Amino acid sequence: MFRHRLLQRTNQIKFKKRRLIMKQNFLFQASNISKYYGQNIGCKNVSLDINPGEVLGIVGESGSGKSTLLNCIYGNLEVDEGDIFLNDKSKTILNFTKISEPKLRLIQRSDLAFVHQNPRDGLRMNISAGGNIGERLMAIGHRNYGEIRQIAANWLEKVEIDVSRIDDKPSTFSGGMQQRLQIARNLVTRPRLIFMDEPTGGLDVSVQAKILDLLRNLVRELGIAAVIVTHDLAVVRLLADRIIVMQNGNVIEAGLCDQVLDDPQHKYSQLLVSSVLQV
Amino acid sequence: MNEMSKNENLDIQIYNFAYLDENTKRMIRRALLKALCIPGYQVPFSSREMPMPYGWGTGGIQVTSACLIPKDILKVIDQGADDTTNAVSIRKFFQKTANVAVTEKTSDASLIQTRHRIPETKLKEKQILVYQVPIPEPLRFLEPRETETRKMHALSEYGLMYVKLYEDIAKHGHIETAYAYPVKTNGNYVTDPSPIPKFDNPKMNNSPAIQLFGAGREQRIYAIPPYTNVKSLDFEDYPFEAMKANFKCSICGSSDSYLDEIIVSDDGKRSYICSDTDYCKEQTKLNSKKED
Repeated sequence: MFRHRLLQRTNQIKFKKRRLIMKQNFLFQASNISKYYGQNIGCKNVSLDINPGEVLGIVGESGSGKSTLLNCIYGNLEVDEGDIFLNDKSKTILNFTKISEPKLRLIQRSDLAFVHQNPRDGLRMNISAGGNIGERLMAIGHRNYGEIRQIAANWLEKVEIDVSRIDDKPSTFSGGMQQRLQIARNLVTRPRLIFMDEPTGGLDVSVQAKILDLLRNLVRELGIAAVIVTHDLAVVRLLADRIIVMQNGNVIEAGLCDQVLDDPQHKYSQLLVSSVLQV
Repeated sequence: MNEMSKNENLDIQIYNFAYLDENTKRMIRRALLKALCIPGYQVPFSSREMPMPYGWGTGGIQVTSACLIPKDILKVIDQGADDTTNAVSIRKFFQKTANVAVTEKTSDASLIQTRHRIPETKLKEKQILVYQVPIPEPLRFLEPRETETRKMHALSEYGLMYVKLYEDIAKHGHIETAYAYPVKTNGNYVTDPSPIPKFDNPKMNNSPAIQLFGAGREQRIYAIPPYTNVKSLDFEDYPFEAMKANFKCSICGSSDSYLDEIIVSDDGKRSYICSDTDYCKEQTKLNSKKED
């Protein structure tokens, strides 16, 4: 019964204004958002909500609109239809599609974070690891060198990079280390919601496992909510509480992670689950 | 003889006063007024081809040209000196095209065009200081996209500027940036003070003179109006420090002016002299008076 109700909740496509007033403790909510690239559909009529501390997985094949959706809800891409709400630190509900650009950029720097698939997109490669971690701090007004450096060192430790590498440039780091550095750089200002686009793509399996382990611990420890886009079902199995499955820009199934993966209802989800290689 | 003087008159006739045509000067003056209204903001202007290459001060010359009036007394300095190539040629340019009086004395000048220095003698009200600027964008080497840097200025997103200072301290133990040291103008825009040594930065703060900046190649003009707060960026625990070589000028003996290091012999003997030639001359005069 409980599972059934949850399924209903997450499958709910039509968004009602009434719910917004009733449910004040949500963190993030997207309702009926659509994005078109000319004639082509980026994503269509997608609704989702995220509660504080919850990890949501978005899975689907290449070209299914996962990254488009992620960029839309982060505010990087302008949506064509729909609304995006964030319940910010002061409990005010902000609509991303309505607020001014300065405000949006401020929120992207403080409340939100974005981890790119390729660490080179998310890091400044010609700036030391310490500077990379410190940038977000300095952007929100930290002006004490000693403090910034101390925080950067603490974060290097947290993501298991040797503190002695604090002054080395990311270009001298391995792929896994770069990805961990990018995670540290994003988490340093304690965002409440972090968006990740294939955070373990392009890494070998053992490094992937290490990063997943680290992410799981950090997300749980700090109570950060996360949206993870991936085509790797093992990643969502490990990290996500709930998942949505996308195909051709539409959400075709949504629900608790284990439920969807163990008992997929839609035939595409069934195909997706059955095509995972067993070792 | 008669013919020659005719030709000289002709020379002046060929050019409009101070070389640029009146419409161009008007366009530049508009940009200057806007720049003065928004201290530190980079105003685009349609920079003209000047009869000299980019990098020789085409921006500064255009600003000077738009500001000059016949009764101006012009001083031109390059790295503080009145007698270096750039200074001499620009001074001659305006003598020829505007027929204005020129001087080497800072206190006599009503308009000073400068490359890479602020004169040691304190500037006064009603003086204009025109800087030649190679790169007006302080964020250029930190963020290559101009569309993005403009947005960063508009939203005061200056975290990245501090990253540069952070990197300096991490690498060298102190803020190594010694010239073009970024400043915050009027508590708002981060501004590139053109490549003046950071020793000169404090002189920009609350200056009674008007400070105008022209970047010809980059087509930007910005300004600092008189008595404007100009603060050099720094960290709480690594405050800004105006620096100079810790020697005395070997000509005038001054220890408080900015010094040039020159190598005087083949075996590498060094000597330090004031970079501001006018200041150096005056100090020498003062010293000889004292001796008398």
